[in-house]
Amino acid sequence: MTKTSAESGQVENTDRLKSQIRSPKSVHILSPYIERLKAGDALLADTPENLIEVVGVLKSYGIVMVDYYTNLLYIAEKQFLVLFPFFKYFNGEVSREKLLRHLWHDRINFEYAEYCMKTMMWHGGGSLDTYLDSEEFRQRARAAIEAKIQDNWLIRGIDGLFPEFLLEQVRQQVYYSALGQFWRVMAPIFLTLSDRYDRGEINSIPQVVDHILNGLVESANLPITYSVEIGDKEYEIIPKSANLTFLMDTAVPYVEAVFFRGMPFLGTVSFNAQAHQIPPDQTRFEYGALYADPLPIGGAGIPPTLLMQDMRHFIPDYLHDLYNRNRRREDDLRVQICVSFQKSMFCVTTAAILGLAPYPIDTKDPSEEQANRVYLEKWMDRFVTSRLMVANSDPNACLYGCEVRF
Amino acid sequence: MLSALIWVPILSAAVLGFWPGTITPKASRQLSLIVASAVFVWSLVLASQFNPGTASQQFSEYIPWIDSLGLTYHLGVDGLSLPLLVLNSLLTCIAIYSTDKSIQRPRFYYALLLLLNASVAGAFVAQDLLLFFLFYEVELIPLYLLIAIWGGKRRGYAATKFLIYTAISGILILAAFFGLVLLSGASTFAYEPLRNYTLPLTTQFLLLGALLVGFGIKIPLVPFHTWLPDAHVEASTPISVLLAGVLLKLGTYGLLRFGLGLFPEAWSIWAPWLAIWAVVSVLYGSFNAIAQTDMKKMVAYSSVGHMGYILLAAAAATPLSLLASVFQMVSHGLISGLLFLLVGVVYKKTGTRDIDILRGLLNPERGLPVVGSLMVLGVMASAGLPGMVGFISEFLVFRGSFAVFPTQTLLCMVGTGLTSVYFLLLVNRVFFGRLSKEVENLPQVQWSDRAPAIILAALIVMLGLQPNWMVRWSETTTTTMMLNSQELTANSQPF
Repeated sequence: MTKTSAESGQVENTDRLKSQIRSPKSVHILSPYIERLKAGDALLADTPENLIEVVGVLKSYGIVMVDYYTNLLYIAEKQFLVLFPFFKYFNGEVSREKLLRHLWHDRINFEYAEYCMKTMMWHGGGSLDTYLDSEEFRQRARAAIEAKIQDNWLIRGIDGLFPEFLLEQVRQQVYYSALGQFWRVMAPIFLTLSDRYDRGEINSIPQVVDHILNGLVESANLPITYSVEIGDKEYEIIPKSANLTFLMDTAVPYVEAVFFRGMPFLGTVSFNAQAHQIPPDQTRFEYGALYADPLPIGGAGIPPTLLMQDMRHFIPDYLHDLYNRNRRREDDLRVQICVSFQKSMFCVTTAAILGLAPYPIDTKDPSEEQANRVYLEKWMDRFVTSRLMVANSDPNACLYGCEVRF
Repeated sequence: MLSALIWVPILSAAVLGFWPGTITPKASRQLSLIVASAVFVWSLVLASQFNPGTASQQFSEYIPWIDSLGLTYHLGVDGLSLPLLVLNSLLTCIAIYSTDKSIQRPRFYYALLLLLNASVAGAFVAQDLLLFFLFYEVELIPLYLLIAIWGGKRRGYAATKFLIYTAISGILILAAFFGLVLLSGASTFAYEPLRNYTLPLTTQFLLLGALLVGFGIKIPLVPFHTWLPDAHVEASTPISVLLAGVLLKLGTYGLLRFGLGLFPEAWSIWAPWLAIWAVVSVLYGSFNAIAQTDMKKMVAYSSVGHMGYILLAAAAATPLSLLASVFQMVSHGLISGLLFLLVGVVYKKTGTRDIDILRGLLNPERGLPVVGSLMVLGVMASAGLPGMVGFISEFLVFRGSFAVFPTQTLLCMVGTGLTSVYFLLLVNRVFFGRLSKEVENLPQVQWSDRAPAIILAALIVMLGLQPNWMVRWSETTTTTMMLNSQELTANSQPF
């Protein structure tokens, strides 16, 4: 009897051991975040202050995003191969008032959208990048180019001498359009998030993540297409048959390029390079939104400054109230917006991680758990040098009186 | 007219200090600010009525006081004292305005500030040696108390050191004054009559030596400078502004007025050594400034260096160099006042002056960008960059002294280069780069914190672009001083 009981206990222990071997707990330095994600939480700590910051800043982001994508699509479609696009930010409405407003700089900084577009183009990635190197694209683009420059002998000459020049311009136009289409989907997601928050339907950070995730999933297979009208004829440069879709061909490359990689910009040398934050080569480039130091915001030539400058016009009152509780009140508004923006981007990234996970994140199947763990650890590898831990222990957050869980 | 500059603040200080009823801290501050502003406006009125075409004393007031001592209440102002008088009243206004509103024992504090203002003004306008000495000594009391009561952690040590040094300075000056009167056989301490007495050269050396050490402590010149960095570090910001801006000038003013004015012959013989002393002060002060990690100490050592220029110019005693010495006094008063104000704001907001801790304060959003910009302007002025008052004063010093002491002047010019070195170190470490983590969340800077510094910065630029506004006050006086010195030297008989 005793022997049987011992044998039975031994079998139980062996099963438990086998189970642990199959799906051990992660020993990653950021394993607490893996556990959080598995528990249905987000990368960002769920605090009332974080919720206000994230929803408030995404609302203002959504508003400026509408202007950004409107302009990106205008440039892609109406400024096709206009080599000196002096009025590209005017969306076709050139007036003295608008010009003065533009010169006075009290305007939406469309340059920021272009910065993101260039970042996407520089880093490439996804089927869109592959398509732009395909023969099909080359033929379609050439047809449009020929149509556009047929009466322009000077440009025809240049095209003859440098046949890749206009082709590269078209590739850039494609990215204008792709980012415009991506933001055209994202803006309503953020704005409806704010509406739901105002109605009391969003009460936690995980709910924010769910909202974004649902929006991404709903739009995942939307086609990405691009065509321009030259004369009376429409030229399809990215046809629907290219099978480029919203999630994998714009959202994922965008997250990779803008959230993770970033690109050099004026001011980099004076601020970030001095702080050894800029790696010397592109492959090791980690200066995306999740890594960016918010403190250089406000410095000349720092692109996020433009975004924060735009967003500050649309900050909801509840977020202003929160910022005004800072010891510096709103003197450093743009930096505070950037800090909040970074937090919100960790929520968007959480949604992307959950959406792209190989199996449901709360699966109990050991092999699926194992695959998810490997998947999540790869993400965590990238977060080690990010601002994740800073975002969760922001000095501002302490000043606001919130408690950080980790 | 001149008495108002002395007695209005003294009476106001008495009211603040001894009024039996309650005076709220706000009322104390407002009253002292009103009085100081009135004194400043009055000094400007006097300046507007000042006749720059004559070197004689103007707005003179004479009241016999203690005949048996030869002491008279004789006041007057000339092109040497007028700029310093205006500077004193301006910096007092700024010191009162920039004082922390929640300062402890405000009635006593503001009363002492007004007393300090009055005694310094009295020293600048006194035309009687004993009267000058009285004001010179009275000034020590409020300054000692202002450091000892409202200073930093080691305020007791710093204040006592200051008191010992400056008391010795006073004893030496008094001894020289008594010696002059007794040995010359004069019956009065009145300045003008005493200038006409000729003493044997050895006696002149002795008396001038006492004055040089006495005023050398006050300026301060190396090796009598050690009280100054301690006093500056421990003094609160407004007191540092006054200390560097005005009080050190009592030393250089005394050297010019009494050293050069009363003993021109001995002065001219010792001049090459004085110029060497100036070089030592300039270089020692500058090298020490480079080695500092405390911003305030760096500015304090910078003062030691820059006051050396005045000695160089006074030693050369050419019309241009004497004018330069006056200009350099005002220039240094404005620039050091600005720098100490800005260091004070940095300290108030960050809690440290350590340049090894501070970084990136020029950050436009979370740093102190206006303060940083003004600091850049201040250090550029101090380093003598064109367009600012520091350039004019240093150029005049070097231009005026080079013909007499080329080697010493060139060595002093090295000091200007060193000024750029230590202030670039300061600006580069404290204001450029990424904001250091220790100061990432600084409190708001109010315009009231910046306003005094902006006023001084504006004056630094204005006088840099239009130096003639000040030069015209002093030019006749300094030229006449030089001519009188030559005349007295020529007339004196060798002993």
